[in-house]
Amino acid sequence: MPAYHSSFNDGGFRAIGNMALLPIKTKIRGPAPPAADPQQDDIIDEAIALFRANCFFRNFEIKGTADRVLIYLLLFIQESLGKLSKNPSQLEGQRTLQTHALQNFAIPGEAGFPLNAMYEKPANRNDADTLRQYLSQLRQECATRLVVKVYDGDRPSKWWMCFSKRKFMGLPNVGTAA
Amino acid sequence: MTNLPAVVIDNGTGYTKMGYAGNNDPQFIIPTTIATRETPSGNLAAKRGIEDLDYYIGDEAILNSKTYGINYPIRHGQVENWDLMEKFHQASIFQYLRCEPEDHYFLLTEPPLNPPENREYTAEIFFESFGAKGIYIAVQAVLALAASWTSGKADQTLTGTVIDSGDGVTHVIPVAEGYVIGSSIKHIPIAGRDITQFVQQLLRERENSIPPEDSLEVAKRIKEMYSYVCPDIVKEFKKYDSEPDKCFKKHEFLHSVTKKPYNVDVGFERFLGPEIFFNPEIASPDFLTPLPEVVDTTIQSCPIDTRRGLYKNIVLSGGSTMFKDFGRRLQRDITRIVDNRLKHYEVLSQANINKDQQIQPKMIDVNVVSHKRQRYAVWFGGSLLADTAEFYSYCHSKAQYDEYGPSIARFNRVFASIM
Repeated sequence: MPAYHSSFNDGGFRAIGNMALLPIKTKIRGPAPPAADPQQDDIIDEAIALFRANCFFRNFEIKGTADRVLIYLLLFIQESLGKLSKNPSQLEGQRTLQTHALQNFAIPGEAGFPLNAMYEKPANRNDADTLRQYLSQLRQECATRLVVKVYDGDRPSKWWMCFSKRKFMGLPNVGTAA
Repeated sequence: MTNLPAVVIDNGTGYTKMGYAGNNDPQFIIPTTIATRETPSGNLAAKRGIEDLDYYIGDEAILNSKTYGINYPIRHGQVENWDLMEKFHQASIFQYLRCEPEDHYFLLTEPPLNPPENREYTAEIFFESFGAKGIYIAVQAVLALAASWTSGKADQTLTGTVIDSGDGVTHVIPVAEGYVIGSSIKHIPIAGRDITQFVQQLLRERENSIPPEDSLEVAKRIKEMYSYVCPDIVKEFKKYDSEPDKCFKKHEFLHSVTKKPYNVDVGFERFLGPEIFFNPEIASPDFLTPLPEVVDTTIQSCPIDTRRGLYKNIVLSGGSTMFKDFGRRLQRDITRIVDNRLKHYEVLSQANINKDQQIQPKMIDVNVVSHKRQRYAVWFGGSLLADTAEFYSYCHSKAQYDEYGPSIARFNRVFASIM
Protein backbone atom coordinates (compact mmCIF):
# COMPACT_ATOMS: atom_id res chain seq x y z
CA MET A 1 0.00 0.00 0.00
CA PRO A 2 1.70 3.21 -1.10
CA ALA A 3 1.31 6.73 0.30
CA TYR A 4 -2.10 8.35 0.49
CA HIS A 5 -3.34 10.51 -2.37
CA SER A 6 -5.65 13.50 -2.58
CA SER A 7 -9.34 12.81 -3.04
CA PHE A 8 -9.63 15.89 -5.27
CA ASN A 9 -7.61 14.38 -8.11
CA ASP A 10 -10.56 13.66 -10.34
CA GLY A 11 -12.67 16.71 -9.59
CA GLY A 12 -11.95 18.39 -12.93
CA PHE A 13 -10.60 21.59 -11.39
CA ARG A 14 -8.88 24.33 -13.38
CA ALA A 15 -5.12 24.11 -13.19
CA ILE A 16 -2.36 26.68 -13.31
CA GLY A 17 0.83 25.12 -14.55
CA ASN A 18 -0.13 21.68 -13.43
CA MET A 19 -1.34 22.49 -9.93
CA ALA A 20 -5.09 22.35 -9.39
CA LEU A 21 -6.88 25.53 -8.31
CA LEU A 22 -8.96 23.99 -5.52
CA PRO A 23 -11.73 25.61 -3.52
CA ILE A 24 -10.73 26.36 0.08
CA LYS A 25 -12.65 27.48 3.12
CA THR A 26 -10.97 30.76 3.99
CA LYS A 27 -11.47 34.43 4.74
CA ILE A 28 -8.12 35.30 3.19
CA ARG A 29 -8.43 36.92 -0.22
CA GLY A 30 -7.04 35.21 -3.25
CA PRO A 31 -7.76 33.44 -6.50
CA ALA A 32 -9.04 30.19 -4.95
CA PRO A 33 -12.77 29.68 -5.43
CA PRO A 34 -14.82 29.62 -2.21
CA ALA A 35 -15.79 26.17 -0.97
CA ALA A 36 -19.33 25.11 -1.82
CA ASP A 37 -20.02 23.27 1.42
CA PRO A 38 -18.38 24.61 4.60
CA GLN A 39 -18.99 21.29 6.36
CA GLN A 40 -16.86 19.29 3.98
CA ASP A 41 -13.08 18.88 4.21
CA ASP A 42 -11.06 20.93 1.75
CA ILE A 43 -7.52 20.29 0.55
CA ILE A 44 -5.97 21.91 3.65
CA ASP A 45 -7.94 19.68 6.05
CA GLU A 46 -6.91 16.77 3.91
CA ALA A 47 -3.23 17.72 4.01
CA ILE A 48 -3.27 18.12 7.79
CA ALA A 49 -4.99 14.75 8.17
CA LEU A 50 -2.60 12.95 5.82
CA PHE A 51 0.59 14.61 7.00
CA ARG A 52 1.43 12.24 9.84
CA ALA A 53 0.92 9.17 7.66
CA ASN A 54 2.53 10.46 4.50
CA CYS A 55 5.63 12.01 6.07
CA PHE A 56 7.00 8.46 6.47
CA PHE A 57 7.07 7.90 2.74
CA ARG A 58 9.99 8.61 0.50
CA ASN A 59 8.24 7.87 -2.76
CA PHE A 60 5.07 9.45 -4.01
CA GLU A 61 3.48 8.83 -7.35
CA ILE A 62 1.67 11.94 -8.55
CA LYS A 63 -1.75 10.84 -9.77
CA GLY A 64 -3.32 14.19 -10.58
CA THR A 65 -3.12 17.96 -10.34
CA ALA A 66 -4.50 17.98 -6.78
CA ASP A 67 -1.68 15.69 -5.60
CA ARG A 68 0.76 18.49 -6.42
CA VAL A 69 -1.14 20.87 -4.15
CA LEU A 70 -1.13 18.15 -1.49
CA ILE A 71 2.64 17.68 -1.74
CA TYR A 72 3.14 21.44 -1.48
CA LEU A 73 1.02 21.65 1.64
CA LEU A 74 2.65 18.60 3.26
CA LEU A 75 6.08 20.12 2.75
CA PHE A 76 4.83 23.44 4.07
CA ILE A 77 3.49 21.75 7.22
CA GLN A 78 6.86 20.08 7.63
CA GLU A 79 8.62 23.44 7.37
CA SER A 80 6.18 24.98 9.83
CA LEU A 81 6.71 22.28 12.45
CA GLY A 82 10.42 22.94 12.10
CA LYS A 83 9.74 26.61 12.96
CA LEU A 84 7.97 25.57 16.16
CA SER A 85 10.91 23.55 17.43
CA LYS A 86 11.81 26.26 19.98
CA ASN A 87 8.60 25.42 21.82
CA PRO A 88 6.97 28.89 21.76
CA SER A 89 3.67 29.74 23.47
CA GLN A 90 0.52 29.62 21.37
CA LEU A 91 0.50 33.37 20.70
CA GLU A 92 4.15 33.42 19.71
CA GLY A 93 3.72 30.28 17.65
CA GLN A 94 0.82 31.79 15.78
CA ARG A 95 2.90 34.86 15.00
CA THR A 96 5.90 32.79 13.92
CA LEU A 97 3.82 30.72 11.54
CA GLN A 98 2.04 33.74 10.06
CA THR A 99 5.37 35.45 9.34
CA HIS A 100 6.63 32.17 7.93
CA ALA A 101 3.60 31.91 5.64
CA LEU A 102 4.14 35.45 4.37
CA GLN A 103 7.87 34.96 3.85
CA ASN A 104 9.26 35.24 0.33
CA PHE A 105 8.80 31.87 -1.35
CA ALA A 106 9.61 30.26 -4.66
CA ILE A 107 6.90 29.14 -7.07
CA PRO A 108 7.21 26.28 -9.58
CA GLY A 109 9.66 27.19 -12.31
CA GLU A 110 11.83 29.38 -10.10
CA ALA A 111 15.32 28.37 -9.03
CA GLY A 112 14.55 27.88 -5.32
CA PHE A 113 11.65 25.50 -5.87
CA PRO A 114 12.66 21.92 -5.01
CA LEU A 115 10.34 19.96 -7.29
CA ASN A 116 10.79 21.63 -10.65
CA ALA A 117 11.08 18.28 -12.40
CA MET A 118 7.52 17.43 -11.51
CA TYR A 119 5.84 20.84 -11.54
CA GLU A 120 5.18 22.80 -14.70
CA LYS A 121 6.19 26.41 -15.00
CA PRO A 122 3.12 28.70 -15.29
CA ALA A 123 2.48 29.62 -18.93
CA ASN A 124 2.79 33.42 -18.65
CA ARG A 125 3.36 36.35 -16.28
CA ASN A 126 -0.30 36.55 -15.49
CA ASP A 127 -0.56 32.87 -14.50
CA ALA A 128 2.59 33.18 -12.43
CA ASP A 129 1.02 36.02 -10.44
CA THR A 130 -2.17 34.07 -9.87
CA LEU A 131 -0.17 31.02 -8.77
CA ARG A 132 1.84 33.10 -6.31
CA GLN A 133 -1.33 34.55 -4.81
CA TYR A 134 -2.96 31.13 -4.68
CA LEU A 135 0.02 29.56 -2.90
CA SER A 136 0.21 32.48 -0.50
CA GLN A 137 -3.47 32.01 0.29
CA LEU A 138 -2.93 28.29 0.90
CA ARG A 139 0.06 28.97 3.13
CA GLN A 140 -1.71 31.50 5.33
CA GLU A 141 -4.84 29.43 5.76
CA CYS A 142 -2.82 26.29 6.43
CA ALA A 143 -0.71 28.10 9.05
CA THR A 144 -3.85 29.32 10.86
CA ARG A 145 -5.41 25.87 10.98
CA LEU A 146 -2.17 24.15 11.89
CA VAL A 147 -1.76 26.21 15.08
CA VAL A 148 -5.18 25.05 16.31
CA LYS A 149 -4.28 21.43 15.62
CA VAL A 150 -0.76 21.36 16.94
CA TYR A 151 -1.22 23.28 20.17
CA ASP A 152 -2.27 21.39 23.20
CA GLY A 153 -2.71 23.99 25.90
CA ASP A 154 -0.04 26.65 25.53
CA ARG A 155 2.74 24.44 24.14
CA PRO A 156 3.01 22.51 20.88
CA SER A 157 1.90 18.92 21.47
CA LYS A 158 4.72 16.40 21.39
CA TRP A 159 2.43 14.10 19.44
CA TRP A 160 2.85 16.50 16.55
CA MET A 161 6.35 17.76 17.14
CA CYS A 162 7.75 14.21 16.91
CA PHE A 163 7.10 14.40 13.16
CA SER A 164 9.03 17.62 12.66
CA LYS A 165 12.26 15.82 11.82
CA ARG A 166 10.69 13.59 9.19
CA LYS A 167 11.38 14.43 5.58
CA PHE A 168 8.54 13.68 3.22
CA MET A 169 9.98 12.48 -0.11
CA GLY A 170 13.39 13.21 1.35
CA LEU A 171 12.92 16.95 0.84
CA PRO A 172 13.91 19.52 3.45
CA ASN A 173 11.63 22.44 2.38
CA VAL A 174 9.38 23.97 -0.26
CA GLY A 175 11.58 26.85 -1.19
CA THR A 176 10.72 29.44 1.45
CA ALA A 177 13.47 32.05 1.71
CA ALA A 178 15.30 31.69 5.01
CA MET B 1 7.88 -51.99 25.92
CA THR B 2 6.65 -48.46 26.29
CA ASN B 3 8.97 -45.78 25.14
CA LEU B 4 9.98 -42.83 27.19
CA PRO B 5 8.67 -39.62 25.58
CA ALA B 6 10.62 -38.45 22.56
CA VAL B 7 12.75 -35.34 22.87
CA VAL B 8 11.88 -32.45 20.56
CA ILE B 9 14.63 -29.93 19.82
CA ASP B 10 14.10 -26.99 17.48
CA ASN B 11 17.35 -25.15 16.88
CA GLY B 12 16.61 -21.71 15.48
CA THR B 13 19.02 -18.91 14.61
CA GLY B 14 18.04 -16.90 17.64
CA TYR B 15 16.59 -19.36 20.12
CA THR B 16 16.63 -23.08 20.73
CA LYS B 17 13.34 -24.56 21.87
CA MET B 18 13.51 -27.96 23.53
CA GLY B 19 11.34 -30.24 25.58
CA TYR B 20 9.55 -33.56 25.68
CA ALA B 21 6.92 -34.63 23.17
CA GLY B 22 3.32 -34.40 24.27
CA ASN B 23 3.78 -31.13 26.10
CA ASN B 24 2.16 -27.92 24.95
CA ASP B 25 5.14 -25.66 25.45
CA PRO B 26 8.87 -26.19 25.24
CA GLN B 27 10.54 -26.71 28.63
CA PHE B 28 13.57 -24.64 27.68
CA ILE B 29 13.85 -21.66 25.43
CA ILE B 30 17.46 -20.55 25.39
CA PRO B 31 19.47 -18.40 23.01
CA THR B 32 21.39 -20.51 20.50
CA THR B 33 24.73 -19.28 21.76
CA ILE B 34 27.78 -21.01 23.11
CA ALA B 35 30.60 -19.47 25.10
CA THR B 36 34.01 -21.10 24.87
CA ARG B 37 37.50 -20.24 26.05
CA GLU B 38 39.38 -18.88 23.10
CA THR B 39 42.84 -19.54 24.47
CA PRO B 40 43.26 -22.42 26.90
CA SER B 41 45.06 -20.74 29.77
CA GLY B 42 46.34 -22.19 32.99
CA ASN B 43 42.95 -22.31 34.62
CA LEU B 44 41.44 -25.00 36.76
CA ALA B 45 39.80 -26.89 33.92
CA ALA B 46 43.05 -27.15 31.99
CA LYS B 47 44.86 -28.54 35.02
CA ARG B 48 42.33 -31.31 35.38
CA GLY B 49 42.34 -32.09 31.68
CA ILE B 50 38.68 -31.29 31.16
CA GLU B 51 39.04 -28.15 29.04
CA ASP B 52 36.55 -29.49 26.50
CA LEU B 53 33.85 -29.29 29.16
CA ASP B 54 34.73 -25.69 29.92
CA TYR B 55 31.93 -23.93 28.08
CA TYR B 56 28.43 -22.53 28.58
CA ILE B 57 25.34 -22.40 26.42
CA GLY B 58 22.23 -20.25 26.30
CA ASP B 59 21.69 -17.51 28.86
CA GLU B 60 24.71 -18.65 30.84
CA ALA B 61 26.84 -18.11 27.77
CA ILE B 62 25.70 -14.51 27.58
CA LEU B 63 26.34 -14.01 31.30
CA ASN B 64 29.91 -15.27 30.85
CA SER B 65 30.61 -13.27 27.72
CA LYS B 66 33.24 -11.20 29.57
CA THR B 67 35.64 -14.09 30.13
CA TYR B 68 34.57 -16.39 27.31
CA GLY B 69 34.21 -15.91 23.57
CA ILE B 70 30.60 -15.96 22.35
CA ASN B 71 29.73 -18.01 19.27
CA TYR B 72 26.53 -18.46 17.33
CA PRO B 73 26.71 -21.95 15.81
CA ILE B 74 23.60 -21.38 13.66
CA ARG B 75 23.40 -18.62 11.09
CA HIS B 76 20.45 -17.98 8.78
CA GLY B 77 18.83 -21.15 10.08
CA GLN B 78 21.72 -23.42 9.07
CA VAL B 79 24.43 -24.92 11.24
CA GLU B 80 27.77 -23.28 10.50
CA ASN B 81 30.03 -24.80 13.11
CA TRP B 82 29.49 -28.48 13.76
CA ASP B 83 32.02 -28.82 16.58
CA LEU B 84 30.27 -26.14 18.56
CA MET B 85 26.88 -27.53 17.61
CA GLU B 86 27.86 -30.90 19.04
CA LYS B 87 28.89 -29.25 22.28
CA PHE B 88 25.68 -27.31 22.27
CA HIS B 89 23.63 -30.48 21.87
CA GLN B 90 25.63 -32.18 24.57
CA ALA B 91 24.92 -29.45 27.07
CA SER B 92 21.27 -29.22 26.11
CA ILE B 93 20.77 -32.95 26.58
CA PHE B 94 22.75 -33.51 29.75
CA GLN B 95 22.57 -30.16 31.46
CA TYR B 96 19.13 -28.90 30.49
CA LEU B 97 16.89 -31.82 29.55
CA ARG B 98 18.85 -34.18 31.82
CA CYS B 99 18.06 -37.37 29.95
CA GLU B 100 19.91 -40.46 28.82
CA PRO B 101 20.04 -40.21 25.03
CA GLU B 102 20.23 -44.02 24.81
CA ASP B 103 16.67 -44.22 26.12
CA HIS B 104 15.01 -41.58 23.96
CA TYR B 105 13.99 -40.92 20.42
CA PHE B 106 14.83 -37.44 19.14
CA LEU B 107 12.94 -35.17 16.82
CA LEU B 108 15.14 -32.47 15.33
CA THR B 109 14.23 -29.73 12.89
CA GLU B 110 15.89 -28.38 9.79
CA PRO B 111 15.22 -25.30 7.69
CA PRO B 112 13.81 -25.74 4.19
CA LEU B 113 16.55 -26.27 1.57
CA ASN B 114 18.90 -27.77 4.15
CA PRO B 115 21.58 -29.75 2.27
CA PRO B 116 21.44 -33.52 2.89
CA GLU B 117 25.03 -33.45 4.15
CA ASN B 118 23.88 -31.44 7.13
CA ARG B 119 21.33 -34.12 7.91
CA GLU B 120 24.13 -36.68 7.81
CA TYR B 121 26.27 -34.67 10.21
CA THR B 122 23.34 -34.43 12.60
CA ALA B 123 22.82 -38.18 12.41
CA GLU B 124 26.51 -38.71 13.09
CA ILE B 125 26.42 -36.54 16.19
CA PHE B 126 23.31 -38.13 17.60
CA PHE B 127 24.17 -41.75 16.89
CA GLU B 128 27.91 -41.79 17.40
CA SER B 129 28.48 -39.21 20.12
CA PHE B 130 25.27 -39.70 22.05
CA GLY B 131 24.12 -43.16 20.99
CA ALA B 132 20.52 -42.02 20.61
CA LYS B 133 17.85 -44.69 20.20
CA GLY B 134 16.52 -43.07 17.06
CA ILE B 135 16.19 -39.70 15.37
CA TYR B 136 13.81 -38.03 12.99
CA ILE B 137 14.64 -34.80 11.18
CA ALA B 138 11.59 -32.77 10.21
CA VAL B 139 11.28 -29.65 8.08
CA GLN B 140 10.29 -26.64 10.18
CA ALA B 141 7.63 -25.36 7.79
CA VAL B 142 5.85 -28.72 7.74
CA LEU B 143 5.77 -28.80 11.53
CA ALA B 144 4.32 -25.29 11.56
CA LEU B 145 1.55 -26.53 9.28
CA ALA B 146 0.88 -29.44 11.58
CA ALA B 147 0.71 -27.07 14.56
CA SER B 148 -2.07 -25.09 12.87
CA TRP B 149 -4.36 -28.12 12.99
CA THR B 150 -5.10 -27.23 16.59
CA SER B 151 -6.81 -24.01 15.53
CA GLY B 152 -9.84 -26.05 14.48
CA LYS B 153 -10.35 -23.69 11.56
CA ALA B 154 -8.22 -25.49 9.00
CA ASP B 155 -8.64 -29.06 7.85
CA GLN B 156 -5.75 -31.36 8.53
CA THR B 157 -3.77 -31.03 5.33
CA LEU B 158 -0.07 -30.69 4.72
CA THR B 159 -0.70 -28.18 1.94
CA GLY B 160 -0.36 -24.52 2.79
CA THR B 161 1.80 -21.43 2.83
CA VAL B 162 3.82 -20.92 5.98
CA ILE B 163 4.78 -17.40 6.99
CA ASP B 164 7.52 -17.75 9.52
CA SER B 165 8.70 -14.53 11.10
CA GLY B 166 11.18 -14.54 13.90
CA ASP B 167 13.69 -11.95 14.98
CA GLY B 168 16.02 -11.83 12.01
CA VAL B 169 14.20 -12.63 8.81
CA THR B 170 10.76 -13.59 7.53
CA HIS B 171 10.24 -16.58 5.25
CA VAL B 172 7.31 -17.38 3.03
CA ILE B 173 7.36 -21.12 2.38
CA PRO B 174 4.83 -22.95 0.20
CA VAL B 175 4.29 -26.58 1.12
CA ALA B 176 2.29 -29.01 -1.05
CA GLU B 177 1.35 -32.39 0.40
CA GLY B 178 4.18 -32.17 2.88
CA TYR B 179 6.76 -31.27 0.23
CA VAL B 180 8.37 -27.87 0.36
CA ILE B 181 8.31 -26.16 -3.02
CA GLY B 182 11.90 -25.03 -2.76
CA SER B 183 12.07 -22.95 -5.91
CA SER B 184 9.30 -20.64 -4.71
CA ILE B 185 10.50 -19.84 -1.20
CA LYS B 186 10.88 -16.12 -0.58
CA HIS B 187 12.64 -14.24 2.17
CA ILE B 188 11.90 -10.74 3.43
CA PRO B 189 14.54 -8.79 5.33
CA ILE B 190 11.90 -7.45 7.74
CA ALA B 191 11.26 -9.12 11.07
CA GLY B 192 11.06 -8.53 14.80
CA ARG B 193 14.38 -6.76 15.10
CA ASP B 194 13.44 -4.20 12.44
CA ILE B 195 10.19 -3.43 14.22
CA THR B 196 12.09 -2.91 17.46
CA GLN B 197 14.53 -0.57 15.73
CA PHE B 198 11.72 1.41 14.13
CA VAL B 199 9.91 1.75 17.45
CA GLN B 200 13.18 2.83 19.03
CA GLN B 201 13.64 5.49 16.37
CA LEU B 202 10.10 6.83 16.86
CA LEU B 203 10.63 6.95 20.61
CA ARG B 204 13.92 8.74 20.22
CA GLU B 205 12.25 11.45 18.14
CA ARG B 206 9.68 12.11 20.82
CA GLU B 207 10.51 10.91 24.31
CA ASN B 208 13.42 12.47 26.14
CA SER B 209 12.89 10.62 29.40
CA ILE B 210 14.43 7.35 28.15
CA PRO B 211 18.09 6.87 29.10
CA PRO B 212 20.02 5.94 25.97
CA GLU B 213 21.44 2.75 27.46
CA ASP B 214 17.92 1.42 28.07
CA SER B 215 16.40 2.58 24.81
CA LEU B 216 16.57 -0.76 23.00
CA GLU B 217 15.09 -2.64 25.93
CA VAL B 218 12.28 -0.08 26.29
CA ALA B 219 11.49 -0.29 22.57
CA LYS B 220 11.36 -4.08 22.79
CA ARG B 221 9.02 -4.05 25.75
CA ILE B 222 6.72 -1.52 24.14
CA LYS B 223 6.66 -3.55 20.95
CA GLU B 224 5.79 -6.72 22.82
CA MET B 225 3.20 -5.22 25.14
CA TYR B 226 1.32 -2.59 23.16
CA SER B 227 1.65 -3.18 19.44
CA TYR B 228 -1.20 -4.15 17.16
CA VAL B 229 -2.04 -4.01 13.46
CA CYS B 230 -4.50 -1.36 12.32
CA PRO B 231 -6.67 -1.44 9.20
CA ASP B 232 -5.61 2.00 7.94
CA ILE B 233 -3.02 4.41 9.32
CA VAL B 234 -4.76 7.69 8.51
CA LYS B 235 -7.96 6.49 10.20
CA GLU B 236 -5.90 5.30 13.14
CA PHE B 237 -4.27 8.75 13.52
CA LYS B 238 -7.76 10.29 13.54
CA LYS B 239 -8.86 7.81 16.19
CA TYR B 240 -5.92 8.85 18.37
CA ASP B 241 -6.98 12.48 17.96
CA SER B 242 -10.58 11.84 18.94
CA GLU B 243 -10.06 9.33 21.74
CA PRO B 244 -6.68 10.16 23.27
CA ASP B 245 -7.48 8.62 26.68
CA LYS B 246 -8.16 5.23 25.17
CA CYS B 247 -5.24 5.13 22.75
CA PHE B 248 -2.25 6.76 24.40
CA LYS B 249 -0.70 4.66 27.14
CA LYS B 250 1.82 5.31 29.86
CA HIS B 251 4.32 2.79 31.03
CA GLU B 252 6.67 2.97 33.97
CA PHE B 253 10.14 1.56 33.46
CA LEU B 254 13.00 1.09 35.91
CA HIS B 255 16.40 2.42 35.01
CA SER B 256 18.69 -0.57 34.57
CA VAL B 257 21.53 0.88 36.64
CA THR B 258 20.13 3.39 39.10
CA LYS B 259 16.79 1.57 39.55
CA LYS B 260 14.98 4.88 39.41
CA PRO B 261 11.53 4.72 37.82
CA TYR B 262 10.67 6.84 34.79
CA ASN B 263 7.55 7.20 32.65
CA VAL B 264 7.31 6.67 28.93
CA ASP B 265 4.29 7.71 26.87
CA VAL B 266 3.28 5.16 24.29
CA GLY B 267 1.54 6.47 21.21
CA PHE B 268 1.59 6.01 17.47
CA GLU B 269 4.37 3.41 17.54
CA ARG B 270 1.72 0.98 18.75
CA PHE B 271 0.38 0.60 15.23
CA LEU B 272 3.27 2.04 13.21
CA GLY B 273 5.68 -0.70 14.32
CA PRO B 274 3.90 -3.71 12.85
CA GLU B 275 2.85 -1.54 9.91
CA ILE B 276 6.30 -2.02 8.37
CA PHE B 277 5.25 -5.49 7.26
CA PHE B 278 2.52 -3.90 5.17
CA ASN B 279 4.32 -0.67 4.24
CA PRO B 280 8.04 -1.42 4.43
CA GLU B 281 8.74 1.94 2.84
CA ILE B 282 8.10 3.81 6.07
CA ALA B 283 11.11 2.24 7.79
CA SER B 284 13.59 0.99 5.23
CA PRO B 285 14.86 2.73 2.13
CA ASP B 286 15.84 -0.40 0.21
CA PHE B 287 13.08 -2.95 0.63
CA LEU B 288 9.69 -1.78 -0.60
CA THR B 289 7.46 -4.80 -1.26
CA PRO B 290 4.68 -5.33 1.28
CA LEU B 291 4.28 -8.78 2.83
CA PRO B 292 0.86 -9.51 1.25
CA GLU B 293 2.34 -8.88 -2.18
CA VAL B 294 5.29 -11.19 -1.46
CA VAL B 295 2.91 -13.94 -0.34
CA ASP B 296 0.88 -13.48 -3.51
CA THR B 297 3.90 -13.66 -5.85
CA THR B 298 5.19 -16.68 -3.95
CA ILE B 299 1.95 -18.56 -4.49
CA GLN B 300 1.71 -17.42 -8.10
CA SER B 301 5.13 -18.92 -8.79
CA CYS B 302 4.03 -22.35 -7.54
CA PRO B 303 2.62 -25.15 -9.75
CA ILE B 304 -0.83 -24.13 -10.88
CA ASP B 305 -2.68 -27.08 -9.36
CA THR B 306 -1.42 -26.26 -5.87
CA ARG B 307 -2.32 -22.58 -5.80
CA ARG B 308 -5.87 -22.78 -4.50
CA GLY B 309 -4.72 -25.00 -1.67
CA LEU B 310 -1.90 -22.60 -0.84
CA TYR B 311 -4.23 -19.58 -0.72
CA LYS B 312 -6.71 -21.50 1.36
CA ASN B 313 -4.30 -22.34 4.14
CA ILE B 314 -1.86 -19.54 4.99
CA VAL B 315 -0.35 -20.40 8.34
CA LEU B 316 1.47 -18.04 10.68
CA SER B 317 4.41 -19.06 12.82
CA GLY B 318 6.97 -17.28 14.96
CA GLY B 319 6.90 -14.46 17.48
CA SER B 320 6.64 -11.55 15.04
CA THR B 321 3.30 -12.81 13.71
CA MET B 322 1.74 -12.48 17.16
CA PHE B 323 0.51 -8.89 16.79
CA LYS B 324 -3.20 -8.44 17.29
CA ASP B 325 -5.13 -8.53 14.00
CA PHE B 326 -2.00 -9.41 12.00
CA GLY B 327 -3.79 -12.35 10.38
CA ARG B 328 -6.91 -10.34 9.63
CA ARG B 329 -5.04 -7.54 7.87
CA LEU B 330 -2.94 -10.02 5.90
CA GLN B 331 -6.06 -11.88 4.79
CA ARG B 332 -7.77 -8.65 3.76
CA ASP B 333 -4.80 -7.43 1.73
CA ILE B 334 -4.16 -10.75 -0.02
CA THR B 335 -7.88 -11.15 -0.80
CA ARG B 336 -7.84 -7.69 -2.32
CA ILE B 337 -4.88 -8.50 -4.60
CA VAL B 338 -6.38 -11.83 -5.68
CA ASP B 339 -9.85 -10.43 -6.33
CA ASN B 340 -8.45 -7.58 -8.39
CA ARG B 341 -6.54 -10.00 -10.56
CA LEU B 342 -9.59 -12.21 -11.08
CA LYS B 343 -11.65 -9.18 -12.04
CA HIS B 344 -8.97 -8.16 -14.49
CA TYR B 345 -8.99 -11.63 -16.07
CA GLU B 346 -12.76 -11.53 -16.26
CA VAL B 347 -12.66 -8.30 -18.24
CA LEU B 348 -9.93 -9.60 -20.52
CA SER B 349 -11.67 -12.86 -21.33
CA GLN B 350 -15.04 -11.19 -21.73
CA ALA B 351 -13.56 -9.12 -24.51
CA ASN B 352 -12.63 -12.24 -26.44
CA ILE B 353 -16.03 -13.92 -26.52
CA ASN B 354 -19.59 -13.11 -27.53
CA LYS B 355 -21.47 -10.55 -25.49
CA ASP B 356 -24.31 -12.90 -24.58
CA GLN B 357 -21.96 -15.38 -22.95
CA GLN B 358 -20.98 -14.62 -19.40
CA ILE B 359 -17.73 -15.60 -17.82
CA GLN B 360 -17.64 -16.00 -14.08
CA PRO B 361 -14.32 -17.07 -12.57
CA LYS B 362 -14.55 -19.23 -9.49
CA MET B 363 -13.50 -17.01 -6.62
CA ILE B 364 -10.32 -17.96 -4.78
CA ASP B 365 -10.70 -18.66 -1.13
CA VAL B 366 -8.00 -16.86 0.89
CA ASN B 367 -7.61 -17.96 4.46
CA VAL B 368 -5.03 -16.86 7.01
CA VAL B 369 -4.92 -19.17 10.00
CA SER B 370 -3.96 -17.78 13.40
CA HIS B 371 -3.84 -20.03 16.40
CA LYS B 372 -2.82 -20.11 20.03
CA ARG B 373 0.46 -21.96 19.54
CA GLN B 374 1.81 -19.57 16.94
CA ARG B 375 4.85 -18.41 18.88
CA TYR B 376 6.49 -21.82 19.16
CA ALA B 377 4.53 -23.35 16.30
CA VAL B 378 7.45 -25.37 14.96
CA TRP B 379 8.28 -26.90 18.30
CA PHE B 380 4.62 -27.56 19.05
CA GLY B 381 4.12 -29.26 15.68
CA GLY B 382 7.10 -31.43 16.50
CA SER B 383 5.67 -32.24 19.89
CA LEU B 384 2.39 -33.31 18.25
CA LEU B 385 4.12 -35.47 15.68
CA ALA B 386 6.48 -37.15 18.13
CA ASP B 387 3.56 -38.01 20.38
CA THR B 388 1.86 -40.23 17.80
CA ALA B 389 2.35 -43.98 17.69
CA GLU B 390 3.54 -43.89 14.06
CA PHE B 391 6.36 -41.52 14.93
CA TYR B 392 8.62 -44.34 16.06
CA SER B 393 8.20 -46.12 12.76
CA TYR B 394 9.31 -42.99 10.89
CA CYS B 395 12.51 -42.66 12.90
CA HIS B 396 15.91 -43.81 11.82
CA SER B 397 17.06 -46.21 14.50
CA LYS B 398 20.48 -46.84 15.93
CA ALA B 399 20.48 -50.35 14.45
CA GLN B 400 19.88 -48.96 10.97
CA TYR B 401 22.64 -46.43 11.43
CA ASP B 402 25.07 -49.14 12.44
CA GLU B 403 24.01 -51.17 9.42
CA TYR B 404 24.00 -48.52 6.70
CA GLY B 405 25.82 -45.45 8.00
CA PRO B 406 24.85 -41.78 8.01
CA SER B 407 23.33 -41.86 4.54
CA ILE B 408 20.07 -43.11 6.04
CA ALA B 409 19.41 -39.57 7.18
CA ARG B 410 18.94 -38.52 3.56
CA PHE B 411 15.76 -40.54 3.37
CA ASN B 412 12.43 -39.63 4.89
CA ARG B 413 10.15 -42.51 5.85
CA VAL B 414 6.93 -40.48 5.90
CA PHE B 415 6.97 -40.18 2.14
CA ALA B 416 8.29 -43.70 1.49
CA SER B 417 5.13 -44.85 -0.25
CA ILE B 418 5.40 -42.04 -2.78
CA MET B 419 9.03 -42.55 -3.63
